[in-house]
Amino acid sequence: MGAANTLAAPATPGLRAAHASRGWQAARRRAFAFGLAPALIVLLAITLVPAAALVVASLTPLSLTDPAGTFHFRDPLGNYRHLLEDTRFLGSIATQLKLSAASVALQLAVGLALALLLNRPSRVLGAVRGAFLIPMVLPPIVVALIWKILFTPDVSPLHHALESIGWPVRSLIANPDTALWAIAFADTWQWFPFTMLMVLAALQMMPADPLEAASLDGASRWQLFRYIVFPHIRPVLVVCGLFRLIDSFKAFPLIFVLTDGGPGNVTEVTNYYGFIQAFNFSYWGYASAIATVILAGVFALSWLVGRLGWSDHGKH
Amino acid sequence: MTQRRHLLQAATGIGASLLLPGLSAHAQPGGARRFQGTTLNVSTFSAAYPRLLQQWLPEFEALSGAKVNFDAPSFPVYNQRADLELSTKGSAYDVVNVTFIYSSRWIDSGWLTPLDEFIANPQHTPADWDVNDFLSGARAPETGRDGKLYGIPWTAEALLSVSSRFDLVQQAGLAFPDTTDDLVKVLRAVNKKERVAGFVSDNHYGWTFVPYLHAFGGDVFRKAPDDLFPTLDTPEAVAAADYYANLIREFGPDGAITYQPDQVTQALKLGRVNFSDAGQLHLAQLGDAATSKTLKTVKFGFVPKGPAGRFPGTAVHGLGIPAGSRNKEAAWAFIQWALSKQTTRRAVAAGYGSPARRSDIDSAEFRSRQRINGNDLAQLSLDSIAQAERTGHMKYRTVSVYPQVDQQLNKAIALIASGQANARQAMQQAQAQSIAELRRAGQKI
Repeated sequence: MGAANTLAAPATPGLRAAHASRGWQAARRRAFAFGLAPALIVLLAITLVPAAALVVASLTPLSLTDPAGTFHFRDPLGNYRHLLEDTRFLGSIATQLKLSAASVALQLAVGLALALLLNRPSRVLGAVRGAFLIPMVLPPIVVALIWKILFTPDVSPLHHALESIGWPVRSLIANPDTALWAIAFADTWQWFPFTMLMVLAALQMMPADPLEAASLDGASRWQLFRYIVFPHIRPVLVVCGLFRLIDSFKAFPLIFVLTDGGPGNVTEVTNYYGFIQAFNFSYWGYASAIATVILAGVFALSWLVGRLGWSDHGKH
Repeated sequence: MTQRRHLLQAATGIGASLLLPGLSAHAQPGGARRFQGTTLNVSTFSAAYPRLLQQWLPEFEALSGAKVNFDAPSFPVYNQRADLELSTKGSAYDVVNVTFIYSSRWIDSGWLTPLDEFIANPQHTPADWDVNDFLSGARAPETGRDGKLYGIPWTAEALLSVSSRFDLVQQAGLAFPDTTDDLVKVLRAVNKKERVAGFVSDNHYGWTFVPYLHAFGGDVFRKAPDDLFPTLDTPEAVAAADYYANLIREFGPDGAITYQPDQVTQALKLGRVNFSDAGQLHLAQLGDAATSKTLKTVKFGFVPKGPAGRFPGTAVHGLGIPAGSRNKEAAWAFIQWALSKQTTRRAVAAGYGSPARRSDIDSAEFRSRQRINGNDLAQLSLDSIAQAERTGHMKYRTVSVYPQVDQQLNKAIALIASGQANARQAMQQAQAQSIAELRRAGQKI
């Protein structure tokens, strides 16, 4: 302490100013933290407390048929051990991964293609861009009902149109080979506008000079896209892909309305299986363990987003 | 304006008192109403009878003074909400629907209030309310192991067979199928005639398939409710599953395994599908001249008889009071009003097709309404309910763990009908998973 004082004594006016500035910044940070504290405490309480309750419930065999008798911690990892042996749960993870991969890939491809097509200054294209956003703002249950009609051959204008041109198609949601693709297709219809919107925003912020210069140097349209446009929008595509991947873990209304997890189990994704365990069978402890595993998966993906730096505001 | 509203309410109250003498106990001398200031939260699933009650609620409110919040979501949503709420013994609901497949679980877990004391007490219930007027077969599933009554039935219906285009069957020179063999013979003759698919059923196979399982000599459990060891992989059960899935696969419309109850009803009303098995409440809609194209061609019958006999499915839903309700007297007043002879008769007059009171079922008005294209739907239903009471074959359905097995049956039939597994594989899988689920539920099997 004495040494510090000795060192501080001969400080120049510049150093004193720097010390004062740091002190002022520290005081400012404390003031901000103090002001934010109530909101942060409330936010933490309403996000962490339910999550903690979920994790606690997952350590018990809680069943609603006997809540008092089944809320105990005699075998806290029992549910997790059972998950490893539960073939239906393991199958649901595989189904989830297939559905997520298919729907995210389709959404990125369709969203990117349409954004490139619609990136022109035109009133008509502006209106088309607005129309394409409609699926994204519809309530999920409405989307599910639209596709229930479209996928039911008896009442579907899609099936009738295909039949009238001599190309009849059997019910896609009743066929185990196509049911998951049908869900992925409907999910893509609902969520490709998200990618389209993000990519359009990136395209509209892109400087025109490099494109003009490359064009003057004789670059083809493909080369312009490959070497200039794509590197510019790639970070946005990565973020879109990760956000959609995280969101795809929450697929529910389409499956509930269109297939109920069937035929058999071919469209039963993990959170749908958790829903069945909780609401059909009343196994809340087991369903909480499933939900905790999903939560861990989503956290892992969020961590990946952070690691890639796309959400790190400190760098900007 | 307020005065006018009060006058109207008073007039409605007087009218309702005259109409519903059983509730006069709740109107105090001098016009004071017994449950003034009480709010009753009522929840059932959405169905014809609850919809009528919702229309007539202002009359009950005027008579009793209670305010009623009546919530009626879809069947699965209601069951999930009610199951969760009842298990906590919370007070969110004062009156709930006692759902058939949950009845044993809710009653025997102590989640509902016994109603016998309310019924026996003349302060609460007039003698002419007559609980014995409700079909005994409908009261049985609402009765607990302690012999007490926990729900008053508002619907008692049976699973019946239907041919919406019986004219096609007649053209083929055949009669309404009485046996499982007859059914296949008829379906082979009429399938796809005039672009009408032969057969479809609600994909809740834990309900629609079980009469066939019984008919082939199989069962869900070894001896419900005492021995709940599943019996889904017996030769009889495998044969029944194979037979039934084949009906759907060979004679069903495109996408048959995705059909839900309303889709089945619509397909029958529009004549897009010929044969099905459905509840009386759904089938009665085929008699609606405004919306049914098959009114002149429809024929109803019992579910087909198999090698072991005929075993029609039956379902009963009733109104009950949660154990946690803080307004039990007012809740009983509501149930008493909702299921009084006057209200149920009024519902029948309004076209309600599945009453549980014997006096309603026997009324000329109901009988004439249930006579559709020469078929006596009410009698078919009554006979089916009486048979279920005699044989006790529906006991499998009200045990607390049936929801788990129900879903295994749904999956098994869908697996076979969609070609993902043969009958033996699917039923063995259903058996193994049912055993695992029952053990997890703490059943000693």
